[in-house]
Amino acid sequence: MSGGEGRIGGRVLIVGSIVVALVLVGAYLAAGGSSYEPEKVQDPCQPRPWSNPQSLGQIANQFTISALDGAACQLGVTRETLALALTTKERRERFEKRYGIDDEKLAKAIRAGLVRAVDDAEEAGALSPLIATPLRQALQRIPLERAIEIINDAQGFLGHAEGFLGPAQGVLEQLLPGGLEGLGLP
Amino acid sequence: MPESRRPRVAALALAVGLVLADSSIVVLALPEIYRELNTSVAGVTWVLVSFNLVIALAAVPAALVARRAGPARAAAVGLAIFAGAGLACGLADNLSTLIVARCVQAIGGAAAVTAALELLPATVGSERRAATVWAAAGATGAALGPAVGGLLTELVSWQSIFFLQVPLALAAAVPILTVARHEAATRVIEAEVRSTGRPHLWANLALAMVSAAIAAALFLLVLLLIEGWRLSPIEAAVVVSVMPLAAIFGSRLVDLVGDSRSRAAAGAILVSGGLAGLAFLPKATIALTVPPQILVGVGLALVLSALTETALGGRAPQAIHGGWTISSRHAGVVIGLLLLTPIFTADIEQQRHDAINAGTAVILDSPVNPLLKIDLAEKVGRRLDEERGKVPTIGPAFEPKPSDPNQRSEVEQLQSELQDQLDRGATHAFSTSFLLAALLGLIALFPIALSRRVDL
Repeated sequence: MSGGEGRIGGRVLIVGSIVVALVLVGAYLAAGGSSYEPEKVQDPCQPRPWSNPQSLGQIANQFTISALDGAACQLGVTRETLALALTTKERRERFEKRYGIDDEKLAKAIRAGLVRAVDDAEEAGALSPLIATPLRQALQRIPLERAIEIINDAQGFLGHAEGFLGPAQGVLEQLLPGGLEGLGLP
Repeated sequence: MPESRRPRVAALALAVGLVLADSSIVVLALPEIYRELNTSVAGVTWVLVSFNLVIALAAVPAALVARRAGPARAAAVGLAIFAGAGLACGLADNLSTLIVARCVQAIGGAAAVTAALELLPATVGSERRAATVWAAAGATGAALGPAVGGLLTELVSWQSIFFLQVPLALAAAVPILTVARHEAATRVIEAEVRSTGRPHLWANLALAMVSAAIAAALFLLVLLLIEGWRLSPIEAAVVVSVMPLAAIFGSRLVDLVGDSRSRAAAGAILVSGGLAGLAFLPKATIALTVPPQILVGVGLALVLSALTETALGGRAPQAIHGGWTISSRHAGVVIGLLLLTPIFTADIEQQRHDAINAGTAVILDSPVNPLLKIDLAEKVGRRLDEERGKVPTIGPAFEPKPSDPNQRSEVEQLQSELQDQLDRGATHAFSTSFLLAALLGLIALFPIALSRRVDL
């Protein structure tokens, strides 16, 4: 390449360029440039401890999350993917197609998730064992659409469950078209 | 320069600027074309790739034809083809038609640009001055291209970019036609310039590598701004204008450093440093793109001028060697785009998925009322469906906001956290591609280093 006269030496220019480039990259890395990415979501099969829920709303939140975790773990997807899939019928169909899951498998997984949610609620002291036991039995047999409704409206569901010690039939009648008779509960 | 030759110089400079601007002018229009022609990211990239590929292949043959048939005639015909194909681009209603028209445009453009380099020495009085005018016109066109394209896309439409090229190309052709008539009458065809030297292999190779890095920088940054950070084409045009402005400043440094090899090396290092900076953006903020853009802009001014100077220096005929530099630069653009497109396309899909998962986790884990949460999840899900696989704008999903001040504050916090996850995903999706582009810039240092020992 051609040489020539200039007021800045070639070596000075190259060293200056290297320094400027390194300073920029170093500053961006120090400011967190290498870790600026979406947060990793938690494995749904790992336990997610409940954080001392106070109100019915907080219990419902955690109940939903536990149910989604349980179902997602069984299906081998993330809790978030499953939650979005359950928002509309179209999304659910796309989800089933993409992951090769039929309604029966989905229903089984969601029922298992709801049972895990009852277990977690009971363990956290948010649900009395008197309610938890029959609930578990009832949840294991509910239809898919009703199971999805419970995930989407855990507050309403638990609101009914709260009054379980009174007329316990209230919640179970809601869950099953056949009512308590069909469950063989004590 | 005589007064009478000024329109001809202006016409030649306009022709070169117009054609070389076409290499990058559609960059900001790509997202709009992508949406309107209902295609894929990989598909729309071919609007850019096809033009650069054909011009890379046609530049040297076009220069040979220009020397045989007469450069003025070649330039005039080339501009006419360029204008006609531009009209076809503007009228295209599907991607295939647009790509074919772009290929034809590139053939006309290659003829016009290389013939202009052959015509300029006689018009401006010296070969050196001609090379300066030619390079400056090309650099100005390439630098202004994205901003002009962005403005036209937003103010009128992406088609208007091509429609505007028609009168401009014809206006450039008119003064050249006078020379063409004179050329035909006097049969001054094939200048008596003795062919001296083969193409400078290392300078042209380095040009290709650096051009790949620069094209990737521009293309990726535009996609990041429009598709990732949801800026409008005008806003993106303003942001990416930093690069050409820095290049104008960088061109002032050219005279301060005599050694072209050092200038080329320093320029390649700055381009790579800027690209690495874009790969490690610590936040989705426009201001943070400015320092890396300045490095890329100054770097490209240094490296392109040094390498073009080396590739043309002491070689004749200028049109042929100019053809080689055009060919190398556009081949580099093609390499950069073809190499990086599949990588960032896959990364965008992966990051979109990760960002949506992370955003959904934010919603699920938030303290917002469960019923409101479900409603939000439904609305966000709907936004995802409406945006057809792109990074969604989630603002509408959060409207109307709850009237209760506490709930409202929780919802606003949730929206901000969700947006942060989407921004993270959109920004991170480009990291690997920017890093690879930086690597291409560094690879150019090898031919630059070799050029001193082996001056082919």
